[in-house]
Amino acid sequence: MIAGFKQLDRILRGEATRLSSLTRGSIDVTAGGLFLVIFLLGALNGACMGCFALIRTWNGPNHHDGLMQMLASMGKVPALFLLTLVVTFPSLYVFNALVGSRLTILSLLRLIVAAMSVMLAVLASFGTIVAFFSFTTTSYPFMLLLNVVVFAISGVLGVVFLLQTLRRLASIIRAEDMGVMNVGAAGQPAGLDPRSDQAPAGAEEYAPHDSVRSTVQPPPIPGALDAMEGRILGSNVKAVFRIWMIVFATVGAQMSWVLRPFIGNPNQPFTLFRPRQSSFFEGVVHALTQLIGRW
Amino acid sequence: MIYPSEILRVHPTTVTGPRSIRAAGSLLVLMIAFGLLYGSAMGLFSGVRGQHVWQVIYSALKVPMLMAVTFVVALPSFFVLNTLMGVREDFGRVLRALLATQAGLTIILASFAPFTLLWYVSCANYQAAILFNAMMFGLASIAAQRLLRQYYRPLIRANPVHRPLMRIWLGIFAFVGIQMGYVLRPFIGDPAAATTFLRTDPWGNAYVVVVQLIFSIVRH
Repeated sequence: MIAGFKQLDRILRGEATRLSSLTRGSIDVTAGGLFLVIFLLGALNGACMGCFALIRTWNGPNHHDGLMQMLASMGKVPALFLLTLVVTFPSLYVFNALVGSRLTILSLLRLIVAAMSVMLAVLASFGTIVAFFSFTTTSYPFMLLLNVVVFAISGVLGVVFLLQTLRRLASIIRAEDMGVMNVGAAGQPAGLDPRSDQAPAGAEEYAPHDSVRSTVQPPPIPGALDAMEGRILGSNVKAVFRIWMIVFATVGAQMSWVLRPFIGNPNQPFTLFRPRQSSFFEGVVHALTQLIGRW
Repeated sequence: MIYPSEILRVHPTTVTGPRSIRAAGSLLVLMIAFGLLYGSAMGLFSGVRGQHVWQVIYSALKVPMLMAVTFVVALPSFFVLNTLMGVREDFGRVLRALLATQAGLTIILASFAPFTLLWYVSCANYQAAILFNAMMFGLASIAAQRLLRQYYRPLIRANPVHRPLMRIWLGIFAFVGIQMGYVLRPFIGDPAAATTFLRTDPWGNAYVVVVQLIFSIVRH
């Protein structure tokens, strides 16, 4: 378990996805260890979400329901992520092959599990804020929308991580194919140095971070989310990635709707799942109108 | 030991000196001390006779609590975001910059305490007292935000990714802090109501109240 968290730490710091660590065309992590981490962080976030039901029903006659809701949420958050993985993984693999990348299934699985661990780390770190609002808020629609926002933030960060790493892997494999792979001490392949086509030295200090870096300071070590410079992917590759991002977000959102309730409406008795009806997006609009008041 | 004037003048020893744990500790002590100072001034609205003396004590405790608990609630997500953006190595300095800003905020607030007291002796309206204190908090927050920018300047110079992170911190801190302030009411104490540590009615949500207020105004 500690080994799993150490791997998570390396992923978050960006150590696991530096070019020097990706040379074999795969992330240097084990999917098994990360699954455990995903499960634990998901349960932690589920507990923070379930706080709302627990507290709202604590003094009532049905405080048993609140406890059940909390336990259910602890199981449901990891299930949400793992089921979304199961649903979207085949299409990711197919799209990935379509855009000409030669990642194996195993390295793609490691990649997507790493991206999910990023999502859950962000999600769990927002747990304190979610738990705080659970303690202090009586408004069910507010909690619903807060959790939607928190999930959206962590989802976006995880997907950005996934796409950046996918690009790095693709460029590594391409570079290996062309035989120009020569990883230096800084982890930059020699043939692809971003400094080769930058502005004159005088203009550098005022240039933004994304295009060039100042020569006075040593260049900051790229983080897990930093874009690699000087590598331009084809427009069709970018289009496919963007489409897949939308698919992933939609599936995740609808999966969360299928698995609801996560928070538990205090006015309704506890159920493990609610009947099939409506969709995630209708639910969000409904919560918004409830928050604003009846129109 | 760090002096308040060093915090306000953004003295480098505040954030980069040795013995970081002790420095962080003294920043924390300053934050609590000046928070107690402004809080007790805030609670003096109803005077100190009878049970109203408790409001002074409660308010004195609540201002440092507001700062500290908001800080603790907001910190984990900020830590993970810093790590993801690749600046984990700087987090010790970031933490001290944030703590120094917190301490600075309470020092600025405490310097406004005389104005608050003058307002209290010149106007007995409870609503006006709330508005005046809100104004003092607003002013102090604007000044403290300037302080944060100055503390962040060397960090941003070393790595520009700190600039968006600083804005994210302000966002998270304000989001949690506003609700924390709402939950910890009453800070001033309605002279007509009994003195309590927290309001006895069920906890509400600052954002829900504001949204509903806006829409009820729009509709009428």
